[in-house]
Amino acid sequence: MMLGTRRNAFSRSGASDASVPADVVLSVRQLSVAYVTRRGPVQAVRDVSFDLHGGESLALIGESGSGKTTLGMAINRLLGSSAQITTGEVLYQRQGKVTNILTLNKEQLRRFHWQECAIVFQSALNSLNPVLRVADQFVDTARAHGQHDRGQIEQRASHLLRLVQLDPGRVLHAYPHELSGGMRQRVLLALGLLLEPQVLVLDEPTTALDILTQRVIIETLRQLKQELRFSMIFISHDLSLAAELADRVATMYAGRIIELGSVRDIFYHTRHPYTLGLLQSVPPLRGTLEDLRSIPGSPPDLITLPSGCKFHPRCPLAGPECAQEDPPAFVVGDEHTSACLRWQEVRSPRGEEAAIGEPSRVMHSARTPRAEEAAS
Amino acid sequence: MSAATSPLVASGTSRGLRGKSVRSRIGDIAGNYWVGRIVKAILTIYLVVTLTFFLVRLMPGNPVESFILNLVQTQGLTYPQAQAQAASLFSFDVNAPLWQQYVDYLGNLIHGNLGVSIVSTGTPVSVMILQYLPWTLFSVGLALLISFVLGITLGILMAYRRDTLPDHVLSTIAAFISGVPNYLLAILIVVFLGIRLHLVPFTAMRGSLSPGVSPNLSLQFIGDALFHASLPITVYVLTTVGGWMLLMKSNTTSTLGEDYVLVARARGLRDGRITAAYVGRNAMLPLISALAISVGFIVGGSTVIEQIFVYQGIGWILGSAIVSLDYTVMQGIFLILTISVVVSNLLADLLYGKLDPRVRIAGSQ
Repeated sequence: MMLGTRRNAFSRSGASDASVPADVVLSVRQLSVAYVTRRGPVQAVRDVSFDLHGGESLALIGESGSGKTTLGMAINRLLGSSAQITTGEVLYQRQGKVTNILTLNKEQLRRFHWQECAIVFQSALNSLNPVLRVADQFVDTARAHGQHDRGQIEQRASHLLRLVQLDPGRVLHAYPHELSGGMRQRVLLALGLLLEPQVLVLDEPTTALDILTQRVIIETLRQLKQELRFSMIFISHDLSLAAELADRVATMYAGRIIELGSVRDIFYHTRHPYTLGLLQSVPPLRGTLEDLRSIPGSPPDLITLPSGCKFHPRCPLAGPECAQEDPPAFVVGDEHTSACLRWQEVRSPRGEEAAIGEPSRVMHSARTPRAEEAAS
Repeated sequence: MSAATSPLVASGTSRGLRGKSVRSRIGDIAGNYWVGRIVKAILTIYLVVTLTFFLVRLMPGNPVESFILNLVQTQGLTYPQAQAQAASLFSFDVNAPLWQQYVDYLGNLIHGNLGVSIVSTGTPVSVMILQYLPWTLFSVGLALLISFVLGITLGILMAYRRDTLPDHVLSTIAAFISGVPNYLLAILIVVFLGIRLHLVPFTAMRGSLSPGVSPNLSLQFIGDALFHASLPITVYVLTTVGGWMLLMKSNTTSTLGEDYVLVARARGLRDGRITAAYVGRNAMLPLISALAISVGFIVGGSTVIEQIFVYQGIGWILGSAIVSLDYTVMQGIFLILTISVVVSNLLADLLYGKLDPRVRIAGSQ
């Protein structure tokens, strides 16, 4: 809105006839991604479908190697040449116009990047070009999308840097190495919002940061989301982060979304033993450490997947039928799906009835006095 | 020389000041990164000057003796007469002890006096250097520029197309030609292209200019200078470009894997901008110091090439000086070679600091 009218990035090619509900900005349908290796294809993402609504934030959680990052990259078509998107479509909607990202040509894709969907990566420390000043990286980004007025770009950059609680006077003309890790992460966040994308993908936005900096980032994200109303997909293995920021949570296991539901449903009406295992492996704020349990075993080899349900070798509820059939996604509640044959037997220890206040209060183990002030 | 000695003078005057301010001022100067670098450079030059002075005199044969005997034979002078004439010509006492000659030499050096050639009697060494050095700087400088730009471009290309046919072909060629010594290539060119096939008029290309052409800003002069320099330049480029290609390829390949390159793509930057400012500039950083070091060494390495092609640069005159045991000329040229290596290293540091902001900060603290 500050930088003049937005041009639509797409012309005829890439346009899709597929229908998408009006309030959905991103619809991923039956997406599968495989990495080509000498041992055979690694099925990193298998048959993933979900809708992202306008202004919504969706958390993708799961262990390392469950395909979260690959999924985030595939949506932006940023995967290297060893990865192949084998099936599916990624439909993007702006102002009623639906585009399949996977069929965009190179130049259309370049314009889609950052202007429509920005992605903030896991390794913020190394995400900025070390030989360019922060201001130049903002200018580079804006210029690539047709904005050339340096003064205006810097003005907007300053505004965004203030939003992420950085001092533009100090940061804008600094080189990346002159900033701390947390500052760089926030610079990236500001950079991500420069072109006012509809969708922001955050890949482990707080993983490499200390707990105080994590707090600042989380608070900033929460505020920004309210003010700027973008949709957000954030990838994390940090359940407390999901509890704080997400409207909906998708649990991924072996490349598949195995449970998807509202944040309350996922935390209090868990319907998949894997999600339950993840929840139980986080130390609770109240209760004893005996409640802490880890999931036995390790994630499967994505080249030679187990038969049936991919989780059955590690699942405490597994029965003989679980080794036979890969369960489809069952509708287990309102907008809540679980790919488990025995979903009715899954009982959340936090109890359906014994819900204690907001999820964030229960899940969050890292709240500090300083952050408490910042939040209030 | 005068520019090189000025920091010494500066530190000398500051020592003359009184009290506390003196100490802090010396501290400021000593603490400055660049002053330290320059002092180190001057020390290096001094050491090399001393070493060459003594090494040159350890060479077998005595040019003064042979000069005196030559005078006796050709001009019918008596031995003492000839000796007196030699002493007056060489501006140093040939019979003085070695340490006396050394002290005199250093004294003269500080005044910019490199002595007089022993063989081309009466010609000051500084005049000879000024006459021949520009040709070497021209040919070597141009060759290095071509080689560097070509190598970087091809290296980036190979990295972007790695594991394709063009990459494999270029890598093999680069590895092969960077293994060929430059003098061998020069001899091959003379023998095959010049003598056997008559493709290159290498006799006409001798010298640094054709007869009758004088240095001015005309196209004719520039064309002629390029014509005469083309063979040395070809040899320098061919024997160094392979190294740049391989180095740039490996640097680019690793830079392409950096997160900031992926992020640049995610930001929707144009390919040209990513290649130049995100990949190229970062991949090139380590090559800058290699470039400076090679500037120094290629000036030294020009000796043999200029002999082979009879290109009248500093290397050519050094070759003749070695054959005729012209001490003063040798010393003068070694001094120039040393200065060129030391100065190019200094320049590399300066340039590196300009290109890499991380070094700039470390250097200024």
